Amino acid sequence: MTRRELLSLLFSLGALEFGGVLPAQGTEPKTAPVFQVKTLKGVDFVLRNSPTSRKHLIETMPGGVALLDYNNDGLLDIFFVNGGHVRDNMASPISFDRRNPAYWNRLYRQNPDGTFTDVTKQAGLADAGDSSYGMGVAVGDYDNDGFSDIYVTNFGKNILYHNNGDGTFTDVTAKAGVAAGGWSVSAGFFDYDNDGRLDLFVTRYLDWSVEKSKTCGSEKPTYCPPGDFPAVTNILYHNRGDGTFEDVSVSSGIAAKKGHGLGVAFADYNGDGFTDIFVANDVTDQFLFHNNGNGTFIECGLDSGVALSESGRMPSGMGVVFQDYDNDGLPDLLITQLPHDPYVVFHNDGRGSFSPQELETGFGVLSGRTSGWGVGLEDFDNDGWKDAFIVQGHVFDNVEMYDGSLRYREPPLLAMNHKGHFERADAGSELPVAGRGAAFGDLNNDGWMDVVTTSLGESPQFYLNRGGEFHWLTITLRGKRSNRDGYGARVQVNGQTRFATAAGSYLSSNDKRLHFGLGPAETADVEIKWPSGILQVLRGVRADQFIVIEESVQP
Amino acid sequence: MPPDAIQVVQSGIDAENRGDFDQAVAAFRKAADLAPTTGIIFLRLGEAYMKKHDYAAAIPPLKRAAELTPDSAAVHQLLGYALLAEGYASEAIPHLKIIHDFGALGIAQLQAGQAAEAVANLQAALEKSPDDPDLLFYLARAATGLSGQSLDRLRSVYPNTARGHQALGQTDYEMKMLPEAAKEYEQAIALRPDLRDLRLELGQVFAAASEWSKAEEQFRGEAHLQPGSAEAAYRLGNALMQEGKMKEANEELKRSDSLRPDMPETLYALGRAAAISDPDVAEHALQRVIELEKETPLAGQAHLVLAQIHRKQGKTEQAARDMQDYRKIQALAVRPQS
Repeated sequence: MTRRELLSLLFSLGALEFGGVLPAQGTEPKTAPVFQVKTLKGVDFVLRNSPTSRKHLIETMPGGVALLDYNNDGLLDIFFVNGGHVRDNMASPISFDRRNPAYWNRLYRQNPDGTFTDVTKQAGLADAGDSSYGMGVAVGDYDNDGFSDIYVTNFGKNILYHNNGDGTFTDVTAKAGVAAGGWSVSAGFFDYDNDGRLDLFVTRYLDWSVEKSKTCGSEKPTYCPPGDFPAVTNILYHNRGDGTFEDVSVSSGIAAKKGHGLGVAFADYNGDGFTDIFVANDVTDQFLFHNNGNGTFIECGLDSGVALSESGRMPSGMGVVFQDYDNDGLPDLLITQLPHDPYVVFHNDGRGSFSPQELETGFGVLSGRTSGWGVGLEDFDNDGWKDAFIVQGHVFDNVEMYDGSLRYREPPLLAMNHKGHFERADAGSELPVAGRGAAFGDLNNDGWMDVVTTSLGESPQFYLNRGGEFHWLTITLRGKRSNRDGYGARVQVNGQTRFATAAGSYLSSNDKRLHFGLGPAETADVEIKWPSGILQVLRGVRADQFIVIEESVQP
Repeated sequence: MPPDAIQVVQSGIDAENRGDFDQAVAAFRKAADLAPTTGIIFLRLGEAYMKKHDYAAAIPPLKRAAELTPDSAAVHQLLGYALLAEGYASEAIPHLKIIHDFGALGIAQLQAGQAAEAVANLQAALEKSPDDPDLLFYLARAATGLSGQSLDRLRSVYPNTARGHQALGQTDYEMKMLPEAAKEYEQAIALRPDLRDLRLELGQVFAAASEWSKAEEQFRGEAHLQPGSAEAAYRLGNALMQEGKMKEANEELKRSDSLRPDMPETLYALGRAAAISDPDVAEHALQRVIELEKETPLAGQAHLVLAQIHRKQGKTEQAARDMQDYRKIQALAVRPQS
């Protein structure tokens, strides 16, 4: 019996002590479960983070998951990033035993019957390098060849896998010049200069190494807070278009700010046509890098109102999503964090400024003693309003010893959006896990958004949407003048807005297709503002279908 | 005292005056050998040791001096201090009582677990030196100790009374055992629903667990019991704000402010609650926080909320000034201590 099975059994018997003392935070959901939590046949991944008594900080931070269609067969495949083998005493040269199959990253190809096949080895993704401990993943077609490429972040050197288009990948990190180094966390592809080629942003956490590792808490040893380690800079790589990237962190102004970066999300928050960057920092001011449109950025978190939480404190920012939750056409921010403050909501007020709205939106009662990581704003009930899903679990695996009101393992939070106000709903599972990554997409192409989450030491969880009566529309963008993935496009459908990106959440990469719930509407008007500046409008599009929209070459 | 001893004592005094305490100790020891029943020599020897900060060595000659000259206040003072310095608080107490040194006596009593007596004596000492930081520190500590002793007695003797449950609830709360604390308070309320402050404390337990709707219920109950309590109104207003019920929070916080004006925390919460629905009220409250708090972190937070309000109103220059003020206070907070 696995540990997860044991936990499931204990929970069903009502004998699970933790998590059962105080009721779940907030009002109890009254509706039927939105998801069915299932195992997916063929997926046998386990996130091996290797907790030690030395409490090496890396071991509590992985790992990412990506939903991508790597072979363009129309079915979403799943890529998981694994941690590595950490031991109490690590001798130099440091090895995380990543050549051992137990610690491989894994790619699962979806078969037409909904089962999955592990294709890691045949795809050329088995060897992640012994000196790297896995963290996150970003997906994008950086060379516009029509096939999604994969970028894996690590503690150690990162890896760029070029998709060869034949089911295999090639490690092109050295040629591309994107190895980074240090402790990379989340990453994302986006086109900051609108040249039609995807650039790459990488967050880095802090200046840590096995040699510099330390343990905090004398009687009850645990992980040290980020403030115990020096802050570091994030990295911006500019895509030269010849398969190589240039590190423009300094010249672009990104390296002017040091922080404890974890999550990253992109959107054009002020509508100037250039994609901006938000970095969720752990107990540091949050960063909003405003894109000046000339290849440089200026960090304007404090002046735009997103650096600090509603209470004036520096959030322990973990994951982040940068989408429009109240259908006013402007991208807002939802940032997950650790107790004892609620998850942070910054409403985009226009004119380049934001105001904290976590209390008004309901997150004051939905969070506050939970620890959030991966996060998405997706319309799970297709009613035309984006709902929130947050995977949860504390950093400390012994947090109960420090604070009896907190839990290491927690169930996820599903909160349905009622015209801008969020209320708890039944996610279909109250099984507590040490949740970390979360990716969002329509796994089974039924028009209803699903979720894949990762948790430390366990198998992933699959939240398959039970569906309903409302209509939907799912759009795949195909850029011509813009980057082929259409990242950075603003897509409006029947009064809703999405900013095209696969980035966001924590360590993870989402289905790049843009999903819209249409409620009772059977048709949709679609307006796309491409990164090239081209505005494209489609009227009366039939609901309940997957459509591909190619960028019009005529402005 | 024999003449040769007098000469040696004089040489010890001369050495002491030169600051040569080792030489002084040697001389006084020699004098003590020459005149073993002369109390003043043992006093000088003990004093010389104390000037060397060797309190352990000072104790035996001072004890001998006390035997020989039991009426000497100087001997009791030095012996009391030496014993206290070495951690023998109980032994020090009778000597300190003799000399009526209420400050040192209070400290000794605190260390000996006599919290009530310590509070009384430290208060007496503070009447003479009202701003003495050491005395204030020890009085605070003694009062805490007295409180703990009283609660311990309450818990052990009357565990099944409302006050007993309240005391247990308080302990659980301090130990962050929130579910246990909530149960204790609920039992206390069941036994004595009329008791003031029980709901306030239970509400704070729920607030610590971010159970805001339950906290609201308890604070509302307390506000009903004590309609004149500014704290109950403040806590209720804060809980309502956490639930996003800004209009109700606004009203309750205004009520708290009218009951006890110029409480910075209440005004700040009012500023937050009214920031969107009633920006004029919010601005007024936050400006008052800044007037009251000047450059404290709370004043900094007030500047931050003002910046949010002004940004939302499109007053970008004013928001920029607010942020400048915020940054100034932040810079003060991180400035290293010289």
